[in-house]
Order: sequence, then structure tokens, then C-alpha cells
Amino acid sequence: MTPAYFEYQNAVKLLCGQNALDRIPDELRHLGAARPLLLSDAVLAKIGVAAQVSEVMQAEGCPPAELYTDIPVDSSLEVVNRIARLYREKACDAVVAVGGGSVIDTAKGVRLVLSQGKDDILSLSGVENLNRGRHIPFIVVPTTAGTGSECTGVAVIRNDEQGVKMEFLSPFVEPDVAVLDVRMTLRLPARATAATGMDALVHAIEACTCLQGNPLSYAHGTSAIRLITRHLEECVRHGSHADARLAMALAATQAGIAFSNSMVGAVHAIGHALGGVCHVAHAEAMSILLPHVMRCNLSHSAGAYAELLPYVLGWEAAAALPAAERAEALICAVERLSRTLHELTGLPLRLRDAGVQESDLPRVAAGAVNDGALIVNPRMLSEQEVLGILRQAY
Amino acid sequence: MKRALQRWVVGAALRLVHAALVELQELDPYIANELARLPAGMSYAIHTGHGCPSLYVQWDGERLHRLPGLDSPRCELRMKALPLSFRLFTGQMGLAQGYAQHVFTMAGEVADVMRLARLVNHTEAYLFPPFITRRFLSVMPQLASGPLRLYARLLRGLITARY
Repeated sequence: MTPAYFEYQNAVKLLCGQNALDRIPDELRHLGAARPLLLSDAVLAKIGVAAQVSEVMQAEGCPPAELYTDIPVDSSLEVVNRIARLYREKACDAVVAVGGGSVIDTAKGVRLVLSQGKDDILSLSGVENLNRGRHIPFIVVPTTAGTGSECTGVAVIRNDEQGVKMEFLSPFVEPDVAVLDVRMTLRLPARATAATGMDALVHAIEACTCLQGNPLSYAHGTSAIRLITRHLEECVRHGSHADARLAMALAATQAGIAFSNSMVGAVHAIGHALGGVCHVAHAEAMSILLPHVMRCNLSHSAGAYAELLPYVLGWEAAAALPAAERAEALICAVERLSRTLHELTGLPLRLRDAGVQESDLPRVAAGAVNDGALIVNPRMLSEQEVLGILRQAY
Repeated sequence: MKRALQRWVVGAALRLVHAALVELQELDPYIANELARLPAGMSYAIHTGHGCPSLYVQWDGERLHRLPGLDSPRCELRMKALPLSFRLFTGQMGLAQGYAQHVFTMAGEVADVMRLARLVNHTEAYLFPPFITRRFLSVMPQLASGPLRLYARLLRGLITARY
């Protein structure tokens, strides 16, 4: 059904496939940039992925003016402000982010601070409350296939002082260009491949079933679900399978486009709180919580889940099931995928295996009900209901 | 004429929501508990459209005060147009649908909107009959008191200029 009203935006130019990386300098020139700040993290610097991008930029005559690789996992508002100061000190004129969700979201925050002419990103928190501001050329190179952050209008950044993850929602945090090149994900370890792939699956499923869903994001979401269920296991088993890697990169991007326009739901609300309180890695939290939240939402989402089943099992297998059993079959398929990934990589199935203490669960529930993702969940959830989900997942 | 009527209705609805929250703080433990969890000094501004009424409220740790204005509200919701405010404040959509349909922009922390959404959703379950509330609330809240009791207190409050 077409919603009463919806908005859709995706202004990101996608470079996808062979030699995509090599085109970055040309894109920078088109964007009017000559002194890009290259952002990445210590692990990617150590294994040479950041250098790979830097060399490509150097070879085509647009080397980074500055390289910053100290972005931590679950980056914070303070890191964003620090990098924005560095950008100004070094007179940079563009941002190139190479990394997973933390690096990309940090870069989005930096770009937001710079484009709005501010010193502190905290002063910019809100929903669709900012004007475009000054254009800061911004290119993103994801090194995981999961966050979809390369194509979203949201940045999630940790507020260390409050122990929460904050969302900054604005169409103006979308990058100018996203680069999907399998050279960036070929060396991703199996467990990270599995976890980030499940993160993308959560994006797609929540985007297709939440209150803000719309036909355009649904098309991207269902395409992502089909790609993930066909290629994630292959990527985990055979990490060097380039076709499967590219399919997963595209799936993550499509899931990102979908949820950027539809938002997500309770899996993300609870996952953000788990990250804020217990420091559980976002993708692992998503993987653990997904089936539990789906069961909780079943009373309001059975029809929507049933309609997603063909993208997971294929049309014939889905049609062979009675309509009343399809929603449950989708949840079972998600659980089977989680179990397979657990057996292959050790991806945790329970919160206790992800380092969560049972005594932390009430604090997580209290944080989750204040997370913006919950507002578009198919059914309203009270703090007690969230606590119930957490106890089941524990 | 239609716009003038919508402005009047929206202005009245804003005042009604505030007055209902003041009364429900005493009638309904859920509202009392949600208000008590607000940080002291928490303030909201709700603007309903260009040249249209606004609501400014501040929680002082004990009561929710309606103010004539606020210099820098901690959370500021700005509806994009009066007809959208009208739909939102007349039970044609809830805050969740309003959020999903990009009815308003917000400056401040999303967590503060979620706190407000819980308060408003619960309050609207009193103010509107169930057949309307069911259209925009996916789960009907448990009410601690009858809506008629609330309306009686609101009437008394209006007469005594409590709000």
C-alpha cells in the first residue's frame, strides 16, 4: 500500500565495481578539491588498506594533504571535533573516509561541523533541522559490507559524557560519492564479514517493515535481502570470492539507501543502547537481537514478514508454504542464518556471549526507549517489553 | 477563513495538551513517573506553522509550566506547515506518524522527543475516544483514570485559571 505521504532522497553518486578506487582523484577534481583529508582507523592503516587508497590518490595526482588514522571503534563527539580542528589547521578542502561505520559516521560528523561553521557537533543535534551550509566535498570508501553508511543521511556518534549513541539526521550528511571496490573488503575477516552482513540484513528488514516504509526504499530493501541471503554465507566461507564480495557491498549500500529513507526500528534502538551501555559491537548486537525483535513485532508485522519470505527462500519455496506460516518461516530462516554464521565464525547468538552482564539490562532498556529508532517500530514498545526482549536474547 | 480556524483549533489543542499533562501528573502514575524522569529545567518549544501559535513549556522538577516564550529551549519542534499541525493535533495522526511523514523538524536531542512522544501518546489516549486513538497508537495504553474525570478537572482548571 502506498503510504499517505513519504519522502525519498538519495543524492550519492555510486562508483561500483572494477577499478572504482582509481576514480577517486577524478571525482575529487570534479568536486573542486585539491587538499583532501584522508580519514581511517589504526587497523586499516596497519594492514595497508588506508595506504592503498592514499597511493591511488597520489598516483593520479591528488594525494591526501593529511592522513588521520586514530578513529576508534564507536567514535565519539570529541573525536569529531578534534578532526574538524585538524582539517582547519591543515587547510584541507575535502574529506575522504576509508573504513567501516565508525570511520564513515565520524567523517559525516566532521563534514557537518565544517559545513555549518561550528566547533562542536553537539550544537548540531536534531532531525532535519540544518540548512545545507558550505559544501565540503566528501567521498566515502566502505571497507565492510554492512553499515550502508556510505549512502545514508544519518550519523551515529557516541556521546561519552552521557554514555549514549546520538543520531544526527540530515540529508546534508550524505556523502557526494560512495566507492564500492572489492579490494576494500577482500581481507575482511570471516567474523566481521558475518556480523556486518547481518547488520545489513537488519537494515533491510527493518526498512521494509517499519512505519516509515515506502515503495522506493522497499525496492532497495528487498533487493538487499535477496543479495544477502544468497551471498553472505559464500563471503564468509570464501572471503576471496570477488563476485560475492561485490554483491554484498551492493546489498549493504541498497539496505543503507532503504533505511535512510524509511528509518529502522527496535533492533537498532536496543542495539544502540547496548553499544552505549555495554560497548557491544553494533553489528553483533544487530545479529543477536533480530529474531527476538521480529517475534515481538509479529503481532503487528506478520503480513509484512510473510511478503519478505520469497526474497529469502525464493518464490517457489515461499509459495509452497501456507500464507499463515510464512512470517514464522522468515524468522526461522533468519535464525538458521545466524546459527550457520555462529558455527562458521563464532558470531555470538546470545547477549551473554557478547560480554553483556545481566545486571546491565535494565539500563539498556531505559536507554532504548529514548532512542529515535523506536518511534517508527511497527508497534510501540514499553521499557518492560524491551527488557523482556533483552532477557530472551540474554 | 479555513486557515484562521485551523490556527484557532491548533492553539486550543496546544493549551489542552499542556493542561491535560498538568492534571494527569496527579491522576496517572505513568505520566507522573515520565515527568519525574525529565531533567529539571527541561524545556520544549512547539511551533505549529508560520505566524501560528507556539507552546513553550518547562519542567522545574515538580511541575510543567507553560511560558510565554523561551530563549533557548532544550528541544524545539517546528511543524513544517499549519495543515500538518492541524492533522497532528486533531487526532488524524500521532507523533510517530508525524515523525514518519516528516511533519516536523527538531533541534535538540532525539531522546527528548522520545520522552515527549510517550507523554503525548498517553495523554491523547485520554483526550480522544478509543476509535480515534486506535488509528495512530499501535498499542492502547492502560489508563489509570476515566477520561471523564480528566475532562471534569480540565473544566475546573479552566474556570480557576490553573494553567
